[in-house]
Amino acid sequence: MIKRSQLMLAAVLGAFVSTTLAADSYVLGLTGDLTGRDAANSGAVADGIRIYFERVNRTGGINGHKVEVLVRDNQSEPSRAATDAQTFVNNEDLLLMITASLSSTYAPTISESKRKGVPVLFAGGVCPREVFPPKPDPLLFCTSGYAAETDVKFAVDYIQSVQKNATLGLISMAIPISRGSIDQAAEYAKSKGMKVIGHESAPPPTANYTPYATKLKEGGADWVLSWAPWVTQVKTFEALRQLGWKGNFISYGHNVAEEELKRIKDPGFLVFTTNGMFSDGQPVHKDVLATAEGKTKFPITYLNEGWVAAMTLEAALKKAGWPVNRAKLASAMDGLSVDLRGLRGGPITWTKTNHYREQLYYRVYGWDAAGNRIKTLKDWTSREVK
Amino acid sequence: MQTVANIAVLVAIYALIGSGYVLIYRVSRVLNLAQGELMMLVAYLLFSLATLFGGHPASALAGAVLLSLLVGLVLYVVLMRRMTGELVIAAVLVTIALGILLRGLMVLVWTGQMARPLEKLGWQNSPLALGHGVALSSVAVTTIFVAIAIYVGLFVFFRYTAWGVRMRAVGENPLLAAQRGIKLHVAYAMAWALATFSGGCAGMLLALDSGLDGTMAIIGLKAFPVVLVGGLDSLRGAIVGALIVASAEVLAIQLIDPLVSDVVPFVVLIAMLAVRPWGLFGTEEDIQRV
Repeated sequence: MIKRSQLMLAAVLGAFVSTTLAADSYVLGLTGDLTGRDAANSGAVADGIRIYFERVNRTGGINGHKVEVLVRDNQSEPSRAATDAQTFVNNEDLLLMITASLSSTYAPTISESKRKGVPVLFAGGVCPREVFPPKPDPLLFCTSGYAAETDVKFAVDYIQSVQKNATLGLISMAIPISRGSIDQAAEYAKSKGMKVIGHESAPPPTANYTPYATKLKEGGADWVLSWAPWVTQVKTFEALRQLGWKGNFISYGHNVAEEELKRIKDPGFLVFTTNGMFSDGQPVHKDVLATAEGKTKFPITYLNEGWVAAMTLEAALKKAGWPVNRAKLASAMDGLSVDLRGLRGGPITWTKTNHYREQLYYRVYGWDAAGNRIKTLKDWTSREVK
Repeated sequence: MQTVANIAVLVAIYALIGSGYVLIYRVSRVLNLAQGELMMLVAYLLFSLATLFGGHPASALAGAVLLSLLVGLVLYVVLMRRMTGELVIAAVLVTIALGILLRGLMVLVWTGQMARPLEKLGWQNSPLALGHGVALSSVAVTTIFVAIAIYVGLFVFFRYTAWGVRMRAVGENPLLAAQRGIKLHVAYAMAWALATFSGGCAGMLLALDSGLDGTMAIIGLKAFPVVLVGGLDSLRGAIVGALIVASAEVLAIQLIDPLVSDVVPFVVLIAMLAVRPWGLFGTEEDIQRV
């Protein structure tokens, strides 16, 4: 029987070993929605980061030091995110927090980050206003693909390039960011001389999208644009098709988009995205597929955002060197350019005046019915982020 | 005409979900606030069975229906039975906790990704042209027929079968019913099984029509005003409540503003609570202050 003194010794040794390991490694803290309403998106981001750094550690770490990612589940609940952030910032070894959850969790995370000077990387969710130029918060950085206003302007321009006199219907989810972006799309489309027949906004839990689709169809839309969580986009499109609508639907390409294009197989369903699809077959995509095989419960095509975040973090840690502290890491992130090797159309470049990126690159994908495959409808097009 | 068809589909969905609330409340006076999670669980069970028995859709559907009954039964036996004799509010709180637990478990098991049982079953949700320019998906049309069949079945069950009459007796006066030899726990367990089945049917049909994700549980709660408007212990009320709420919702989308549609059910609910707190067809009971 093990004596109490032996147990205590083991506990003390365990604590010592754990502290030593932590002090010898780059410690990052991820607060993400792993079991909440955004788990399908945020969970995949978290998996991408985890799998990436597992490989980094297997191959010797960064600057000879391993990367330890502490993961906590906030279920996209602000109170849980606050607890996670407090726990992380009070861990003296922790260098940076990663947030992968809905924007409702950002406020407490940002507040804790400022209290203890911990840099925060927003990965997978929308980027907060504080990362955009010209005066980004010195501690906040973002790798997510979204940029609502720029996104919808690109989509409107694309529609106009395909059909000059399109009649445009708009659908958003009844949440501020989605509604706001679609309102901007409406204004922009009108300014470009397009006919806009209205803006439908479906509540997050909607039992039946047909009434919204009916209004869009009866309004005479031949194009519908959506910038919303995937569920709203795809369910509205499918409801429109059930009503016999023959038009084109363009939606923002979330991480599920590639699998969904393959499922829907409809040439009239288009996605515009800042992430390249695995169907591009770039070496980096093959690399992700090989590395993540069997290590995630999500389709590997969902890991793009997480991979981008991890590649950026690896570059930042490499640049920060060793030994490193929070301020040194934030300073290293302030002037960083990361080649994403085809995961996106261009690099992520952070400067003192821009913690988002200077250029956004968009691609439009659709379904090639004849070839039974995803095809690129418009190649990378860059837009300046102002 | 399309608007009428849209209302009919939403009425069917709300009526099916609402019947789950009513069945349990009517028999045991417990408000099951995990109804949304239970319908989602049954839909996920269908998805798993469809994955397992992809080539045999009928087996998968039959299995899911049986499992829905079993889930309700097991929940009562394992969890809710222990709440017998406790304050009703305690039982309601248990259902809230149950809902939270189920939501977490479902994400752990099924990851929260969009699941599409229809494709696993190898079926197509083809549009059906119903004339006069009206079109609905085949699953939406099926939903209307399933709702009618289940309500007819429930009316027949409660009016003409021995156990239906016993369950009504338990709902009206459990003490007297027990003294007459009716096994209360069997009646309660049957109510839970039937409620999970009818709510589960709504979940399965929604999942077959447009996929399944974590928001389904909230749709369950959205149907709550339906039963409060109709009367918590009245199946007839659930139908009328569904008709009022669904019509208000669809007409708000069509004629006013889509954003209003989210608020309209609660406006109807507040109006009803102010005028007739027990609902259109509910039993007038003492309202206790909370």
